[in-house]
Amino acid sequence: MASTLRPYLTCIRNTLDAAMCLQNFPCQEVERHNKPEIELKSSPELLLNPVLICRNESEKCLIETSINSLRISLKVKQADELENILTKKFLRFLSMRAEAFQVLRRKPVQGYDISFLITNYHCEEMQKHKLIDFIVQFMEDIDKEISELKMSVNTRGRLVATEFLKQFI
Amino acid sequence: MARAERFVEADNAEAIITRIEHKSRKIESLLKQYKPVEALKTALEGTYAMTGDERCKSAHWIAVHRALMAIKDVDGMLSSLDPEYYDILMKYLYRGLATGDRPTCDQCLRIHEKLTEKAGLGCILRFLTDTVNTV
Repeated sequence: MASTLRPYLTCIRNTLDAAMCLQNFPCQEVERHNKPEIELKSSPELLLNPVLICRNESEKCLIETSINSLRISLKVKQADELENILTKKFLRFLSMRAEAFQVLRRKPVQGYDISFLITNYHCEEMQKHKLIDFIVQFMEDIDKEISELKMSVNTRGRLVATEFLKQFI
Repeated sequence: MARAERFVEADNAEAIITRIEHKSRKIESLLKQYKPVEALKTALEGTYAMTGDERCKSAHWIAVHRALMAIKDVDGMLSSLDPEYYDILMKYLYRGLATGDRPTCDQCLRIHEKLTEKAGLGCILRFLTDTVNTV
């Protein structure tokens, strides 16, 4: 399992390194507007090929680039029903606080658990390789967080059940 | 005009698919002789002559996939492959990564890492920007 994690993250890192070539590009249709072209998809000449990188049947990463913005959507591994619920709640918690993260998107793209939207302004304020480090680190930490949450839920459940059932002994 | 083109395309497609089947047989025989690198070279060459519809692309992808899965020694394969095939190989790797099938993805991730080291980020960027010649 861990043997495919390294190549998967390396592949994503390399692809992001190549795809994060963003520049300022004012809207072509509306004067004085500046919109992330990847969200609108109004002109095909401004979009690059979307890239789908799957690690296995349940984990994948979609990277879509345009001239001034880049969208990364992740689907996290969810082995059972409990992990499904935990992932949904945890990632919804993060997405609601997207303002604090700056590069997070408030709603994930359809079919994925969480999405990032990086624009040329982010690349100007922050360093490109640090942004990529952040994304890759996020992917590594998500798995650990979900397993920790699952373990704590199970532990708490066991303690509560033991205490409750003690009264019947 | 468009209809005439479509008829020409259909004929072309049949010819292309026959050619791909021909290639697949050649690839199978090369794989039986334990020559996976030659098999991959055969699979990759002439890809752009065969543009067009989905059937040709899928048939081609199946042949390349067969050759890719048989590769065991990635470094050896990359050192003996001509640089002109790096771009096409990268396109097929990304197509393999999009399938989601575990062994294919494992193999493609392994080759992708080594290919990026060899060919550089330009190879990935050429795949991203090439919207005309997709595989």
